[in-house]
Amino acid sequence: MKLAFLIEHPAFSITFTVLAYALAIMLHHRWRWIPPIVVACIPIVALLLLVHEPYAQYNLGGNLLTWLLGPATVALAVPMYRHGVHLRRSLPTLALIVLAGSVVGMVTAGVTAWLLGAPLPVIMSTVPKSVTTPIAIEVSRELNGIPQITIALVILAGVLGASFGVPLLRLVGVREDRAIGAAIGSASHGVGTASLVQHSEMQATVSSWAMAAAGVFTSLLAALLKLFLR
Amino acid sequence: MCCIYRLVEAIMLKTLSIRSFYSILGLAILITFFLLGTGLHRLGVPIPGGVLGLMLFYLGMSSGLVKLRWVEDTAGLMLRHMVLLFVPLTVGLMGMGALLSKQAVAITASLLVSLVAVLLTTGLLGKWLLPDLLAPEKADAEVGR
Repeated sequence: MKLAFLIEHPAFSITFTVLAYALAIMLHHRWRWIPPIVVACIPIVALLLLVHEPYAQYNLGGNLLTWLLGPATVALAVPMYRHGVHLRRSLPTLALIVLAGSVVGMVTAGVTAWLLGAPLPVIMSTVPKSVTTPIAIEVSRELNGIPQITIALVILAGVLGASFGVPLLRLVGVREDRAIGAAIGSASHGVGTASLVQHSEMQATVSSWAMAAAGVFTSLLAALLKLFLR
Repeated sequence: MCCIYRLVEAIMLKTLSIRSFYSILGLAILITFFLLGTGLHRLGVPIPGGVLGLMLFYLGMSSGLVKLRWVEDTAGLMLRHMVLLFVPLTVGLMGMGALLSKQAVAITASLLVSLVAVLLTTGLLGKWLLPDLLAPEKADAEVGR
């Protein structure tokens, strides 16, 4: 039963999660279409089911990784600052565009879920779905949503936007690099931004700026929404 | 356990160059700003601590208090491998199968409607508002180089 002790140790959860992630990244490098987040979870879920370890036990170590999302959010200021210097002329216009995108994203997500009869915590979980994961989780918590549902939506918004975002924009005649960057960054955060890197540097630059800005705007708007609901 | 610890320590000392020193300092700086933000949040500011930290950190860099090179490496690493940090929460989805399948229609519809709405709003606004700024932007980029 010494093995059980080992598996229950928080350091084991962290190590195993890192290994599962490394494996997922390796597979992702070979087959680009494999999403790392899904593959990384499979060995962990399999292990938990196999040894009948409850999620709460695993999460004693997992929590530590989750906590690092806080400092990772702070790190978003780096691309925002670095690219902000290059974009300074169009920055006010871009800020306005991203702000409009954030408002529309939050309202349409919430209203659609509400019209289809979802309960309040589910509605609140859909509201921050356009922004980068660490910020979306925090906003979801602030609004009394369910962070896990938010994560699933955020990932899907990223993957769908990365695959179909640019073709959709082309369809309505949006071809300008900064407009595409602003749209993908506001709608599909880091996943979308990563997909632009291979097309155009300007698109990726605007997109990573827009992704951080959308995160900040959405948190500010969520704070307003919370005041309004109270 | 002790052996492994010693080994890690030895490797760290051997490879501790200025660059890796900045990586460690960078982590300390990011955590400091996160804690500052969390502190403000606890004091009653209704914005998540991480976002407050982000805003303070941005101000810190703009004012020159924090140098970009101190944090560049660590920030780059954390942003590139952010997926690792949300694996534990995603694993937590496995306990929510029932709720998710019950709300699948509402959740999926909300996702698709909102995704298309955001893309069209920002893309079309960009198309109408941005082109006249194109020329000075290019000039700027060249001066920057």
